Amino acid sequence: MPRCWTDMDAFEAFIDGGGLVEADDGMPDAYRRAVFAFIEMHANSELMGALTERDWIPKTPGLRHKMAVLAKTQDEIGHGHLLYMIAADLGVKTRTQMLEDLFAGRSRFHNVFHYRAVTWGDQVAIAFLVDAAALISQQAVFKNCSYGPYRRILRRIITEEGFHMRLGEDRMMRIAEGTARQRSMFQESLDRWFWPALQLFGPDSVPDDELLRWRIKSERNEVLRDRWVQRFVPMLQSYGFTVPAPDLRWDTEAERWDVGPIDWGPLERTLAHGGPDSARRIADAADNWSRTAWARAALSNGSSGA
Amino acid sequence: MHVYEVFVKKDGRDEFRHVGALEAATDELALVLAREGYVRRAEGDRLWVVRRDHVVAAEDDFVTPNTDKPHRHHDGAAVADRRKAARQSQQ
Repeated sequence: MPRCWTDMDAFEAFIDGGGLVEADDGMPDAYRRAVFAFIEMHANSELMGALTERDWIPKTPGLRHKMAVLAKTQDEIGHGHLLYMIAADLGVKTRTQMLEDLFAGRSRFHNVFHYRAVTWGDQVAIAFLVDAAALISQQAVFKNCSYGPYRRILRRIITEEGFHMRLGEDRMMRIAEGTARQRSMFQESLDRWFWPALQLFGPDSVPDDELLRWRIKSERNEVLRDRWVQRFVPMLQSYGFTVPAPDLRWDTEAERWDVGPIDWGPLERTLAHGGPDSARRIADAADNWSRTAWARAALSNGSSGA
Repeated sequence: MHVYEVFVKKDGRDEFRHVGALEAATDELALVLAREGYVRRAEGDRLWVVRRDHVVAAEDDFVTPNTDKPHRHHDGAAVADRRKAARQSQQ
């Protein structure tokens, strides 16, 4: 039975009590907009990621990896579909409006998709570092998210992201055990992608972050970022690569890796669509959308009866 | 285009489970999209799609917790002592 709350206090008491909000509940407008914006950005990021992945299908070395990249592209397009559906059900924007906003540069997607992948090494670094970062943040949302439809969809997405991350690690392992040229190619990719991947978590959460208060997210950005650092700094080092952080140090007291000060300028630029590859990416996505209009037209007519 | 709700069933004893929704023009295309989006790695072996506007949903307050109908429950307290005594006398 759909629920309704008399005021924000009653709603927050419901959230604090571990309640799950469903699509047909009369949720406060501020919550509806916040959860919508969060899911819309996730959906956009899946689509932008899938388009990059698609670019690498013909260039992926070896049939086995090529097929895996193909499957990953399909997974990500699928995630986009699932997410745009639950976002549309919130009634803030239709799916078409969300896509139009994305292609017109009016809405956001993750910072990492504002950079260009130039070598296969970049693609491996993305598959490993970026997918791992995305997985860490999605797991934290899944654990305790107050919006039921998103939480349920995340279970499926996280399972598939797990495959992607392990594929990325598998490829990194092959490159690490490869020739000197492969190793230096991957080191260059690490130099390019380490910081964007780390910044995917965003700057430290503000004290009164409403995403946290309403349990749309359940862990602070800096906690998630630190989890990623503690896991991936030693792993990259174990493969003999250099973590491109000049101030990196092992804090013997806290027994933790400290990457030093973070320059948030690049993240701010990507959020304003002023990243190194923002304009090309958005134009490419818009171009892809217009070139595939025939397929959507065919699908929306239906080929057999009904 | 119609919105379809998607249900998947794993083999064995589990019931059909609602897994999400999608938009499609026809029943046949809805099944194809459901398979490609929701059943990619052996998540189940049976698939239903149901048009959202065909779902018959109860109005608010139609389903209630029925807390005023204690006669539909029995917590066993009234017979617990008698059972316990019977078990002990058999030992």
